[in-house]
Amino acid sequence: MSNYLKVVIILLLGSAQPSLALASLRPASPGMSATQIANRAEESLRGDQTVIQAQMTVRSPRLTQPRMIEFTSWDDRLGKRSFTRMEAPAKDKGTGFLKVHPNLWMYIPRVERTVRIPPSMMLQSWMGSDLTNDDLVRESSQTDDYDHRLLGIEDTVKNHPDREAYVVEYIPHEDTPVVWGKIIAWIDTERDVTLRQEFYDEDDVLIRTMQYQEIQPVEKRWVSHLWILTPEQKEGHETQVRIKRIEFDAEIDDTVFTKRNLKKGLR
Amino acid sequence: MLTLFRIALRNIGRNRRRTSILVVTVAIGLLGTTLSMSLLWGIEQQMIETATATDLGHLQIHATGYNADPKISRLLSDGGKEIDGLLDGEPSVQAYSHRIRSEGLVTSPKASVGLRILGVDAEREPEVSSIKNWIVEGDYLSGKRRESIVGRRLANRLGVQIGDKVIISAQDTQGNMTAESIRITGIFRSVSSDIDSGYLFINLDQSAHIFGTHEAISEIVVVMNERQSALPLQAKLSMNRPHLEVLRWDQLRPFIAFMMDTTQSVAASFYLVIFVAMAFGIANVMMMSIFDRVREIGVMLALGMSRTRLLLLIITEGVLVTIIGTAIGLALSLGIVGALSEGVDFSFYSAGFNDFGVGSRIVPLLKPEDFILPIAISMLTAFMASLWPALRAVQLQPAEATRHE
Amino acid sequence: MNSLEFRLAWRSLGRNPRRTGLTLAATSFAMMLVVNMTGLSNGSHEEMVENGVRMASGHLSLMAPDHLEERTLEQPLAWTQSLRTHLESVPDIKGFAPRMDAFALVSHEESAQGMLIRGSDPTRENTVSEIEDRLTTGRFLRQGESREIVLGQKGAQTLGVELGDQVLLYGMAYSLESAYELFTVVGLVRFPDAELERTLAFISLEDAQAFFVYADRVTEVAILAEDSYQVEDLQNRLTQTLSNGDLRVHTWQEVVPELDQIIAIDKGGMYLILLLLTVVVGFGILNTILMAVLERKREFGILLALGLKPSKIFKVVYLESLLLAGVGIVIGLAISIPMVLYLQAHPIPITGNAAEGISQLNIEVSITSKFRASNPIRSTLIMMGVAVVAAFYPALKASRGQPIDVVQNA
Repeated sequence: MSNYLKVVIILLLGSAQPSLALASLRPASPGMSATQIANRAEESLRGDQTVIQAQMTVRSPRLTQPRMIEFTSWDDRLGKRSFTRMEAPAKDKGTGFLKVHPNLWMYIPRVERTVRIPPSMMLQSWMGSDLTNDDLVRESSQTDDYDHRLLGIEDTVKNHPDREAYVVEYIPHEDTPVVWGKIIAWIDTERDVTLRQEFYDEDDVLIRTMQYQEIQPVEKRWVSHLWILTPEQKEGHETQVRIKRIEFDAEIDDTVFTKRNLKKGLR
Repeated sequence: MLTLFRIALRNIGRNRRRTSILVVTVAIGLLGTTLSMSLLWGIEQQMIETATATDLGHLQIHATGYNADPKISRLLSDGGKEIDGLLDGEPSVQAYSHRIRSEGLVTSPKASVGLRILGVDAEREPEVSSIKNWIVEGDYLSGKRRESIVGRRLANRLGVQIGDKVIISAQDTQGNMTAESIRITGIFRSVSSDIDSGYLFINLDQSAHIFGTHEAISEIVVVMNERQSALPLQAKLSMNRPHLEVLRWDQLRPFIAFMMDTTQSVAASFYLVIFVAMAFGIANVMMMSIFDRVREIGVMLALGMSRTRLLLLIITEGVLVTIIGTAIGLALSLGIVGALSEGVDFSFYSAGFNDFGVGSRIVPLLKPEDFILPIAISMLTAFMASLWPALRAVQLQPAEATRHE
Repeated sequence: MNSLEFRLAWRSLGRNPRRTGLTLAATSFAMMLVVNMTGLSNGSHEEMVENGVRMASGHLSLMAPDHLEERTLEQPLAWTQSLRTHLESVPDIKGFAPRMDAFALVSHEESAQGMLIRGSDPTRENTVSEIEDRLTTGRFLRQGESREIVLGQKGAQTLGVELGDQVLLYGMAYSLESAYELFTVVGLVRFPDAELERTLAFISLEDAQAFFVYADRVTEVAILAEDSYQVEDLQNRLTQTLSNGDLRVHTWQEVVPELDQIIAIDKGGMYLILLLLTVVVGFGILNTILMAVLERKREFGILLALGLKPSKIFKVVYLESLLLAGVGIVIGLAISIPMVLYLQAHPIPITGNAAEGISQLNIEVSITSKFRASNPIRSTLIMMGVAVVAAFYPALKASRGQPIDVVQNA
């Protein structure tokens, strides 16, 4: 389900002080290039076929209490297709999303209708989160579309005081379709896992921060199991994704990515 | 007849004061009528321009079915070449330009907005729309890559300034979602809040790249020399090229056409009012001047001039004077309209106008056919207005007439 | 001004009824034209405004602060009983309609279209937008019925639906939940704007509030004033009585500036034409008076020969002309006001040349007049001004004659 990962990476960046001038920053020893570091961090999140079960929590000033969504998602990276099934809340249970490049379908069991989401609706928020439908289908690579610069090493990261991290600046290529002026990422020097990302606009104003918490080993990788996205200028907004289960090299049957499966409702 | 004419001329020359009053009345009447007409044309033109100069043009040519369901895949596949050839050979066409029109969304770090994306030929677009004139910040498109211009309202909503990067996401002709980064290089303010908040203009090449249209385009927008000639051209194109959808501005935006209809219906009643004012002025002065001459007429009758001849003489005089007045009035009105070719600025009238540039001027327009009606009416009026008092005057007994005060 | 001059002036008017009649005719007729022209101009502008605002948000629109710019559900306006009662109690409000506008995906089988969903109060919507006149088939929403939808003709075409079909609405509620519901198409409408006709749909306010989880809130309240002249006054009154910081009263000029622009161009032009008309009728009057004065050269010559001072003659002639103008204005008013009122009550419908497009839109275009108190007042001032200027030269002329010369020449 690298789509969701990407979405989160691209979109859900949160709050932190501008970090360039941190006193604890020290020069990195020559060895790995910034691009290599970035590559390894991205690879650690990727599998060819991924299954994720997750819970998303949305906080907003509109809501008296946070809204919770649970879903399972099957992603076939090479086949450019994915399938997502809602498990909670009760109202949305069984609702499915099928993406087979370039189309996105949705099935609503309660009214037994399949809807093809047209491009004009792609900007609609996905299930009320800070994610949009468009984010579900957009493809972008953090390694190919950015220039990387190693700013140094920090002995401690704000949300992971006990970890040492490379501080890497990602600058999107002029033709890369992302709005950020730059992204600063803290990548664990030992575990290749991204611990924190800060997203800036072109005027170096921090727009959002993503914190990766609860780093635990899965198969042979270190994976964050709690992602917290905090938009900087929207008071009271926060989106959290808690990974309940993640399987990187799953064998997903082709029948998963079909409209028939979509209409099956919750198995 | 020639003698009569000569006497009439001499009479006109002799009574300079009366003649000049009559001439002035006719000239002013004619001036007022033609100037009003030219203003009404100017207003109509200005209103339509204000309403259509955004992106409408006089004619739009699309592939069949486009207007019912404007999908990006409905394209003029040859890049409009065939139609270009036709348009180039049409003397009534002032300019035309190619566009790729689509929907998509634009994302900035702060917001995402769904909108219309118009890929335009940077060089030719200013000939068919006013977008270039509306730029208030930055520059109009130059044809370079990644340029875009947006309305002030949209820029505010996106929280972007000149030089900022935004992302366009849209569906291409194959149905794929594509995304492209561009920079805001110009900000405009138009008269339309819709255009200001919901349109993004980019270069045609950029559009072709984003939407994968290759050579194809989605629309040709045509501006005519005369708005009226849109109709015959539409008929011609529709007949010869049934695979095209050719629509006039008033079919594309019936609301504007409806506004125009309201104005025109009022304009019609204004013509009436002004013509009546002119006719009445001429008639009044003409009658006054002939009643003035009852004594003189009586003397001529007493000297043995025949009534018919006298009647003819008076009428000839009236008509001659009117001709002189008409000529002067026309010369004046041509002069004034010529002098006002820059337009009458009425921003004094509405403070908000200055912001919009084009909207604040009315350029009077005169067409040769506009003179026919005022001239005909002034002549007819002069004739009728001299006939009645003249008839009455010649019916008097000479003795009675000479005693007339 | 002493009474001798006044009496002289008055008597000389009566002595030559033909001359007086012609001059009177000139002034009263000019007055009539000015009054009617102003009436027509007012009538057409108000018709434009009326038709224009009915399609938009009425003469006035209540919105939460920033809603005019942002247009999202983030700026809710509380739709309370007290607001409703207040609007009902304000005089000069012809109608008002609460609306809840939000985007949703409308789909039917394989087709889908993003649309602006307008939640409207079925009993009130018509009082502002006359939406029922735009129906081509079916009916508008009905009070008490739920899950009904009215689509634009083009929207229905895009979706491939007919009356009685069900469409699925899918969107995001204000509560950030996904919202979906089936609605039955009960009516199709036409709009003068193709885009609007493709992408605007009506459901009942109650349904909309339930669907988008927006209970007791709306996005705007459109208000139609009895009279477009009261808009600013009404705006002030409403702002004062409703100002509690979370509500703005916008005029149609703020909501649809392009309509304002078009009308302003038209008005600007009409003023120029009125100016021209004034010049034309002014010269008409000037020349009529001048003729009349020249005709009386003999009389003035005798008066001068009898020792009357030129300044006296000037005064008498000037007074005569102004008297004539005054009477002419009164006559003109007496004739023209009923004309304006008649045309106001009986507009002449136009079957325009753009009728092809217009006729389907159910909009009535007509020549109509509108009576405003400002019209006779302003017209009177204009005509008095014209008379004061136009009578000056003839009066001067009359007082400048040579006594003997004049008598001989006549």
